[in-house]
Amino acid sequence: MSFFTTEVVPYGSGGNFDDKGLDYEDTYEDLDADEDAFNDDTFGGPAGADRDFDFAGATAKVANVINEEQAIFSRSNTRKRPTYQPVAAPKAPAISDSTQIPALVPDMSLWGATEPTPEPSYHESYYQMPSTAPGGKKVMTLEEVEAQMLMSQRAPVQSSQSQLQNHYQPLNQLHGAMNQSMTHQFHQQLPQHTPSPGPQFGSSPMDFRGIPAHQLPPHIQQMLQQQQQSQIPQYQQTNQDRNYPQQQLLQQQQQQRMQQRELEPAAPQHGRNQYGMAPHLPAQQLQSMTETDRMRFLEEESKRLKRNHKIAQLARYNGLMTPQDKNFIQRIQLQQLVSINNTEENPHEDFYYIVHSAIRARTNPQQPLSQLAQTYLFRQGGRGNRRQDNHLQRMEQQVARAVAAAKARPKQNQLVLEGSLGKISFSNVKTPRPMLNIQKSESVLEPVKKTSLADRKSLLRAIENVYDVLLELEIHERDRAKLPPLIEGQPPSELHEEWLATKEHLTNKLYAETKMQEPINTASPHTHPFIAILSFSKMKRAMPRLFRHFDTEKRVTILTMIVVHLDSLDVVKNGIYGPDETQLPSAHREDIEVFSTNILPPLMGYMYEAPMSIVVGLLTLALDRINIRMISMTKIGLQFLTMFLSRAELLKQSGQVQEDYVLEWQAQFDRLFDTLDGCWNNCFPPNGKFVDDQYVWQFLASMAVGASMLQQQKLVAAVKDRVLENVQASRILPPELGIQKRENVNLFMRAMGLDVDLLG
Amino acid sequence: MLFFSFFKTLVDHEVTIELKNDLCITGTLKSVDQFLNIKLDEIRVKDEQKYPHLAAVSNVFIRGSVVRYVHLPANAVDTALLEDATRREAANAAGVKAR
Repeated sequence: MSFFTTEVVPYGSGGNFDDKGLDYEDTYEDLDADEDAFNDDTFGGPAGADRDFDFAGATAKVANVINEEQAIFSRSNTRKRPTYQPVAAPKAPAISDSTQIPALVPDMSLWGATEPTPEPSYHESYYQMPSTAPGGKKVMTLEEVEAQMLMSQRAPVQSSQSQLQNHYQPLNQLHGAMNQSMTHQFHQQLPQHTPSPGPQFGSSPMDFRGIPAHQLPPHIQQMLQQQQQSQIPQYQQTNQDRNYPQQQLLQQQQQQRMQQRELEPAAPQHGRNQYGMAPHLPAQQLQSMTETDRMRFLEEESKRLKRNHKIAQLARYNGLMTPQDKNFIQRIQLQQLVSINNTEENPHEDFYYIVHSAIRARTNPQQPLSQLAQTYLFRQGGRGNRRQDNHLQRMEQQVARAVAAAKARPKQNQLVLEGSLGKISFSNVKTPRPMLNIQKSESVLEPVKKTSLADRKSLLRAIENVYDVLLELEIHERDRAKLPPLIEGQPPSELHEEWLATKEHLTNKLYAETKMQEPINTASPHTHPFIAILSFSKMKRAMPRLFRHFDTEKRVTILTMIVVHLDSLDVVKNGIYGPDETQLPSAHREDIEVFSTNILPPLMGYMYEAPMSIVVGLLTLALDRINIRMISMTKIGLQFLTMFLSRAELLKQSGQVQEDYVLEWQAQFDRLFDTLDGCWNNCFPPNGKFVDDQYVWQFLASMAVGASMLQQQKLVAAVKDRVLENVQASRILPPELGIQKRENVNLFMRAMGLDVDLLG
Repeated sequence: MLFFSFFKTLVDHEVTIELKNDLCITGTLKSVDQFLNIKLDEIRVKDEQKYPHLAAVSNVFIRGSVVRYVHLPANAVDTALLEDATRREAANAAGVKAR
């Protein structure tokens, strides 16, 4: 058959190729028809339109069967052989000739009717299909196809014989297992059933597939049958026994797959046991056995079948992937592993996942890590079985070696073509899509050196710089775990010193990035850069993290810096209530909230350890430099003052403070009191009855504690109305809020040795 | 890499994925890869009446390129850390470019 012939047959002509007008053979003169002899092998040959649509399911089913049968045969081969002695033993060389691939032709009769009509040739039937010529096949509707399929499924068992013979024929034939005389006989039969095809079909002498076996003479039928039974397994056996070169093996795989497909429709019709396997002993032999023998045999058989079934179950998906497929997957996996390995060395990659997992593991150590984390992050871990452990270890070692090898020869990951605008980077695990990198010139890359920090953009840039160094420092801190443990009594190793030096360097760099070292210039119209960047909530949130890395000296400096600029802090400036405001704008409230949750705690943490000298110094500084009256109207301002006052009071009460400092403190306190005297009521937020004014009472309480009798009287006189107001409000408000109000006022009252209850 | 890194932390959390064909699938995130392909388990489709063919589907593999939105479980996202990770990513990208 020529693959390239494209005869067009007019309707109804029934394959009459004498029509000169439609014979295009002449136009293909330069195509040698002889060279098309193997097209069948290459392209699967002519096939009728299949009507079996369940490809995947049926193939899977048959894959099982094949495996099982192969297993059965390999086990029982020796026992079986004598039975088939009379049959001419199939010639081995024919089978080993595996370069010859049997034509992949699902026979129509297998699917269809039990009495297949002779199919004269592929071409003829193919071209007749669409025609409605009398006698020709009608195009079937889907319902009809389905009905036919259903019918064929219920087909009687006896039909399987002929079908089996039928589809094994090409196999036998191609393996050359049949002797010449037989082939000859076949050919003698041929003309009766096959309208002799025209020469242009390139019909090979072997092409007798279409003939149903039952139309062959009985002796050939028998031979075929016997050969089929002995030969197929034999063929498979040889596969196992011999060491074929790779090429041949591949072809065999192909062949086996084809066989599976061919076997498929016939298989379910074979007499089957519960495991879907054919008994390998013919029934006659079984009958000739004695009763006990038979019992024993059947028992053995069932055991064996069970075992085979198990094996078959396990081996179900064997051979689904070709070596190339496996190679491909392995390459991907290796790439992944290499990237994970890199990640471990470079925490900049996969930062979120690593840190997030670490945090989660820290906050909830009991929680079992997800499988991903186990394999990915914490690959060490208890495993049960020792033997399994060995296997795993071996595998891990193998993987480690492979990864090391892959890393040893780094892949070029970029390609710069001459004259191209950018680099082409190849895809890798991190960037699966290859992309074109446009290279910027160095001058553009280097940011313009900024001189002022006045504009918003440069302020934000400054904050980002802080964060960059901060992250670097934090990663460096984490690296400490990788250092070898310090041994008591021994000087720290070189690594430790190196680590400490880097830490020191980074800390200093971080400090410099906060702009703390910029000189304080009161004459400048701009606020100090540190205060300026602190007005962004981003920076406010970074403060607790920054504080962790700074030593006492730096903390004091930061605290001093903030105190000195207290009246220019955004939270203070925006914390003052307007004349008609009963509530601050929400954005400002949020800022204040962020400030008091992020900046005050670390400052207070430091403050409560500060010595008297610093407390006094700070208060003096505040009184000298800033507008106390103004800051006293804000929450943050009052909280700072409260902080100083309560620390000083604690130190005073501890009695460990030098007399000088106490006196100094008293002087500064009096100054503060005098500054604020007369405007105590301004400290309260408007409509203080219903908003949170706890901080005011705290401040007043801390003032009252340190105040003299006279000062206390002044204080009480000033806020008397407020106290009464609050006490009254506490009675109207819902219980929880009311109690809170009372407690707030009581803070102040108790500081002077009074109590709200005394008010009646 | 950031998104990959981020989504990995959401494994075993319930997410809702909106596809570019307006299909909206809620399910437990089982795995994600660097293409942001997504594997979901125990899925529910938002508008079941409209997509009856998905009623019997319990797990899906979604090709990353067809995802429009992923609704995240808010409590599983560490925003501060995410900010830092973004900075890292930017620093990395800058580093790669400078090289």
